[in-house]
Amino acid sequence: MKLLTHNMLTSHVKGVIKGYPLLIKATEVKVNEVEFNPQFVSRMIPKLEWSALVQAAEELGQRQDLPSDLVPDYETNEEFLKKVHRVLLEVEVVEGCLQCPESGREFPISRGIPNMLLNEDEV
Amino acid sequence: FIICQFVTRHTGPETALPSSSCTDCDTTGGDVITVTVGATVPTGFEHTAAEEVKEKIGVDARISKDRGRIYFPITTDKLFQVHLLRSVDNLFVVVQEYEHYQFSESKEETLIDLQQLASKLPWTNALEVWKLNSTLKKKKGHRRGGNGSKGKPNSEAHDATAVDNEQQELPQPTAQTDTCSQDVEEATPEAKVIKFRVTCSRAGDKHSFSSNEAARDFGGAVQEFFEWKADMTKFDIEVLLNIHNNEVVIGIALTEESLHRRNISHFGPTTLRSTLCYGMLRLCKPQASDIILDPMCGTGAIPLEGAIEFHNSFYIAGDNNDMAVNRTVNNICHIQKRRADKGSASGLPIDTVQWDLCNLPIRTSSVDIIITDMPFGKRMGSRKKNWDLYPSCLREMARVSRPGSGKAVLLTQDKKCFAKAISRMGGLWRKLHTVWVNVGGLHAGVYLLKRTGALFGQTPEDVYESRGPVERQEKDDTELS
Repeated sequence: MKLLTHNMLTSHVKGVIKGYPLLIKATEVKVNEVEFNPQFVSRMIPKLEWSALVQAAEELGQRQDLPSDLVPDYETNEEFLKKVHRVLLEVEVVEGCLQCPESGREFPISRGIPNMLLNEDEV
Repeated sequence: FIICQFVTRHTGPETALPSSSCTDCDTTGGDVITVTVGATVPTGFEHTAAEEVKEKIGVDARISKDRGRIYFPITTDKLFQVHLLRSVDNLFVVVQEYEHYQFSESKEETLIDLQQLASKLPWTNALEVWKLNSTLKKKKGHRRGGNGSKGKPNSEAHDATAVDNEQQELPQPTAQTDTCSQDVEEATPEAKVIKFRVTCSRAGDKHSFSSNEAARDFGGAVQEFFEWKADMTKFDIEVLLNIHNNEVVIGIALTEESLHRRNISHFGPTTLRSTLCYGMLRLCKPQASDIILDPMCGTGAIPLEGAIEFHNSFYIAGDNNDMAVNRTVNNICHIQKRRADKGSASGLPIDTVQWDLCNLPIRTSSVDIIITDMPFGKRMGSRKKNWDLYPSCLREMARVSRPGSGKAVLLTQDKKCFAKAISRMGGLWRKLHTVWVNVGGLHAGVYLLKRTGALFGQTPEDVYESRGPVERQEKDDTELS
């Protein structure tokens, strides 16, 4: 699971109001090389919840020097875009789980696949 | 049989096969010639294929009356470009085209005409292109599709009285991850006798003969003329005889196996061919940084094709089924490994999640494109389940789609159910376009939808919340009784 995907995922357990962002508990993380495309990154940033991305990177010990707030004129800042690229697409959680911040319910991640299926009573 | 050496054969000016000791040249004789290339494409996607030809080769393609085929001119120095096309299943070079072929009254006369045709056709250029194509493929270390079989090795002919004579898609189970290198021993043309076969496809109600008969007689005449050897399975040249009412096209195949399963090594029961996936993706025109969801991904054929061909977007493939998500990951890994072996950055912009598509764990209004193959109810799921499934799906897909700009491209054979479901969703989805296609012998529709600007939670459709399980069961029974 890449952190870009994590940024889109939310808990949908019945009754939960604030199911985002999901907390990450990783037991296996890997870093994979993905071709860098600055346009892709700069156009993706507005679609992200930036603080959730930073928090997730932090939880994985992969934050490095990613800032808490977006730098101005990031569109042309290639160094910054490369850091974002790495965290969005190259860092992957292979094994672990995602946890609903409100209910505590855990969703396992195995082979990089988060299992977000709910039980009958949770729907 | 007379065994002849390829290089020394000269039966006449029309058929002299050029010998070339230069395998590095782009053209055999040094001259660039223009030929017409034909391509078979998934029925319904002829226009998208023509678009791709215009984009990648820069020429205008002609769409044949015989559905599922396009034709375009190409010069021999640009021949390699045809192998970059992602919307075509098979390619061939045209020897001769007859738009209004005059068939004789009787079967005997017709077959004799076909036999006589063999020696009169302008074979030279087409054969040059065939030869050039063979060297291109050898240089590339031509990558095969994931499908190990040759399709229909024993039949050389297929009949159809209906206009549509699309091949049946049979699910092909395969376990190997390394199915790419299927070695076909290609004899160096200079050393051995040429082996060939004729494949005939015939469609139309007014013919006095069968495709088998045409293939047999035409093939016999070709064999006599060139002194080639007929071989159904290990052939160097495949001659194509396509007869569609009064349109007759003779061609020479440039592809050995259909390219339509190229990305998939781990098949599921309903895996879509990659050319169809590509056609669907082109329809929705993925933009840079688009978030693209396939909420019923099966083995991941669609998002994987997207991650390769439209790689400036990001794909999230999801399914509720254990086997499906695992196969998807296997297919992704297979491609990544292949790329890593070639030395390029292997990572693809795609992820896989296990989820319930009627209750997506995705933020509201965050998805740009939803693209999927919805259960048909014949090979997977059921018609009864679809009545409830389709409206719930469409509603949930509307919730996660970006209002105003979001799009959906949905393939389904259950057109009635889909039409009913969409008719109640006018506040959320607008139909833009429909493409009618043929999937594994079933007639299906690819619907292109646009998400309206209305925010979710404010239109009558979504205020009417889905009821609990007991109520839904009752409704299910009464609705269908």
